[in-house]
Amino acid sequence: MADANNLKIDIEVPFPSERFAEIAYHVLRVEKEPKRSGVTKEITYHKNILHVKFSAQLARQLRVAVSSFFDNLNLMSETIEFAGDPVSSTYSHF
Amino acid sequence: MVIALGLEGSANKLGIGVIKDGEVLSNCRRTYITPPGEGFLPKETAEHHRKNVISVLRDALNQSGVKPAEIDVICYTKGPGMGAPLASVAVVARTLAQLWDKPLLGVNHCIGHIEMGRLITKATNPTVLYVSGGNTQVIAYSRHKYRIFGETIDIAVGNCLDRFARVLKLPNDPSPGYNIEQMAKKGKKFIELPYCVKGMDVSFSGILTFMEERADKFLKQGYSPEDLCFSLQETLFAMLVETTERALAHCDSREVLIVGGVGCNERLQEMMKQMCEERGAKLFATDERFCIDNGVMIAQAGYEMFKSGTRMKWEECFITQRYRTDEVEVTWRED
Repeated sequence: MADANNLKIDIEVPFPSERFAEIAYHVLRVEKEPKRSGVTKEITYHKNILHVKFSAQLARQLRVAVSSFFDNLNLMSETIEFAGDPVSSTYSHF
Repeated sequence: MVIALGLEGSANKLGIGVIKDGEVLSNCRRTYITPPGEGFLPKETAEHHRKNVISVLRDALNQSGVKPAEIDVICYTKGPGMGAPLASVAVVARTLAQLWDKPLLGVNHCIGHIEMGRLITKATNPTVLYVSGGNTQVIAYSRHKYRIFGETIDIAVGNCLDRFARVLKLPNDPSPGYNIEQMAKKGKKFIELPYCVKGMDVSFSGILTFMEERADKFLKQGYSPEDLCFSLQETLFAMLVETTERALAHCDSREVLIVGGVGCNERLQEMMKQMCEERGAKLFATDERFCIDNGVMIAQAGYEMFKSGTRMKWEECFITQRYRTDEVEVTWRED
């Protein structure tokens, strides 16, 4: 089925390594967009790049979703800065 | 030995704490305080939490003396609460869990209050009155659930107090409820207000509207702001004591535990104590460190969950604004 949302934003975020991109993917993927936000978010990663695709019908909806995404991305980077490099090559408690 | 890190941010308090087998190693908190006459809104509150979370985390870890490697489980508030502030803190919890390779547990905020209250007061099977800015519930434990006996049908008692504080333009520092409590001590004249107990449930929104509409008139008639605070507190707390007493009688319980931010109000404690004494029951309450939202209560509830074998799938590590107390399977109690 074709995507009914005609406004789209694709974001690519490069990380220092694939492991960081993977962590970012897991941290950011679990929270779904609010039901009535009208936004769909698709998140994937390939090598060290995190890919996020947003689509919505209204620019306002898209702006809210993207701005909240960057808030979370910033917060996550700050947390990484504080907590240091990952201690393991994979997460063992999925 | 189990060490749990807890992160809480469901309302305007950002709290992070560490607990080790029931011993509080650290309990750090920072509150988002708005100007007099204003409440806190989700967006600004989330911003406050994002700005402060790393420094509160640093304080909590430093004070505890615990190294990340020693932590067994990371716990965060899954709900109920305001979406945006909850989600900000959850991002940090998920990132830490991934980086440090630790299990992650989403904790029900109300369960956090109850378990922290039980830990601090050593009450074993209390009838619980949970009163805060967002929640008002009378709770009793039965067959692995904390069951809600009665609750507010509209706004929480703390919300009623907070919003009345805005009418009088009382400061929100340290908290509107605290300032009402201090004013109420000097109140002399009691004004009769609507009293809204409906079976086991209570309703506060009508009382708030009544006060909002008439505050000016009362002040002009010669009642002082102190009289208004006094009358409001007496009325609201009488309603809470009434419903708690009924639950107590129904459960044939001998213990009452008050938790939640409004629970540190000494007048409420005094009224509840009087009722308990008349019934041969014992009142348990904690002070502001543990009554008001904090991180260590989330750590404590998470610790109990973790020890009893509860694990959460990563896919479930999101937040939810609505999350009722009786949805949680209490796996850590034998009775």
